[in-house]
Amino acid sequence: MENKIEISDLKVFYGDVQALNGISLNVYPNEILGIIGPAQSGKTTLLKVINRTLEFNQDISVEGTVKLDGEDINSISDVYGLRRRIGMVLPLPVGLPLSIYDNVAFAPRTAGLRNKAEIDEIVERCLQQAALWDEVKDRLDSLGTKLSGGQQQRLTIARALSHQPEVLCLDEFSIAVDPITTMRIEDVLKTLKNDMTILLVTNLVQQAKRLANRTAFMLNGDLIEIDETDVIFSDNPTQQSTYDYVNGNFG
Amino acid sequence: MNRSDPIFHIIALIILVLVFFLIWNFTNLIPDAKGGNTADRAVQDTLSIIYGHLYKMIPICCVVILLSLAVAFFLEEWLPHKSLQYRIIERIIAILASIPSLIYGLLGIYLLVVPADKVSYYQLTIIVSLLVMPYTIQSTQKAIQGVDISVREAVYALGANRWKVITGHVFPHAFPMISGGILTAISRVLATAALIIVVCDWKIPESNSTSSFGFSSSVVVLLLSALSLSVLSSLVAKNVNHINLNGIV
Repeated sequence: MENKIEISDLKVFYGDVQALNGISLNVYPNEILGIIGPAQSGKTTLLKVINRTLEFNQDISVEGTVKLDGEDINSISDVYGLRRRIGMVLPLPVGLPLSIYDNVAFAPRTAGLRNKAEIDEIVERCLQQAALWDEVKDRLDSLGTKLSGGQQQRLTIARALSHQPEVLCLDEFSIAVDPITTMRIEDVLKTLKNDMTILLVTNLVQQAKRLANRTAFMLNGDLIEIDETDVIFSDNPTQQSTYDYVNGNFG
Repeated sequence: MNRSDPIFHIIALIILVLVFFLIWNFTNLIPDAKGGNTADRAVQDTLSIIYGHLYKMIPICCVVILLSLAVAFFLEEWLPHKSLQYRIIERIIAILASIPSLIYGLLGIYLLVVPADKVSYYQLTIIVSLLVMPYTIQSTQKAIQGVDISVREAVYALGANRWKVITGHVFPHAFPMISGGILTAISRVLATAALIIVVCDWKIPESNSTSSFGFSSSVVVLLLSALSLSVLSSLVAKNVNHINLNGIV
């Protein structure tokens, strides 16, 4: 099977501080890869390297290679096009000063889509996928600020889906969402993986267990172990620290 | 502070001194139409020139402010912060912004009083630029730096280009702080204009004034305007955190 993403010996430095210590892993097409680990283990940094949003930070240096469909992401000249291929949902909702409709329509319009009927269809589909349509369908023109925290996060998810990414990176997407809605979004993710590859960074190990086909455990910038989720959550993972983390012995 | 920082500070200082000498020599070359630097006559002329040319400052201010914003956005959004150019330009701006407006006022007197009837857009532009640009650039830089990086990341992650991110999201987020900085810079200009008038007023009796609008009234109006703008600026700064940017989620 050809890998969707290939990461080789990836090292990231914030100034003098090394955040990733030479990580190598492959992500398969149409899988959900769960990435777990305590704080400061480099999970978010890994996602930001993949969609090249890490380069907005000053004093950053990146070594190693990341390939998307066999192409080195650093050699891709159209970085905006690359980012449209890789959707990103951040832990806390970052809204645009726009209406609910325009928030979701932002990416398609940025990509050059002008047909109103098509944009309408995208907005409705994405809001439904993010389990938000029923709650906002009658007030699409109101501002994103009028929504609750959980609704704002679902709006962010809808926005990330609006440009139909090949890879969807979810960084603690459920941190501001209630458990019922989280379950609804998880159901959507199980369906979405037929169309895209999903990288799921989560501190909720049970969420990774529920959703991920494979799970990677990171600790202090190192990739400790990556394997089938059933193996990681079994009594016999390869590394003792993996067992300790998923069983709540630390972290 | 980085160990290499003092080097950039010294380089910036040397560049500023060189530029200052160039300006100094250039202004000395401007011919005096009256054939001399007779102080009283010059002061008298200067006052009428100041009254007559204050309106010129408005378009100059507008251009200088727009230029300052462009420089600040270029520095923050385009130039890598570790680059040599960024470090030197940043130091130059920091030095110029830290100079008290009184010094610029004295420079203004030199430029306006000595070649009294030759006050050109060029000279006014130098004074207004020195007063407005460093402070506006610095405050705009701080405003841009204050925009949460997650805003940029969120918009870039949707495939937006740099221009769209800056105009559509960074600028609106930073606008309250930017406008506060601009108001403060303009108030510095007005206060300095008042200073020049006061200094000139000491040198000639009121009866010799060529203006129908008295010196004291001018000074009071300028100082009150400066004060009002400063108050407005502090109010804007105080309310930065409370301003809803048309619906930031």
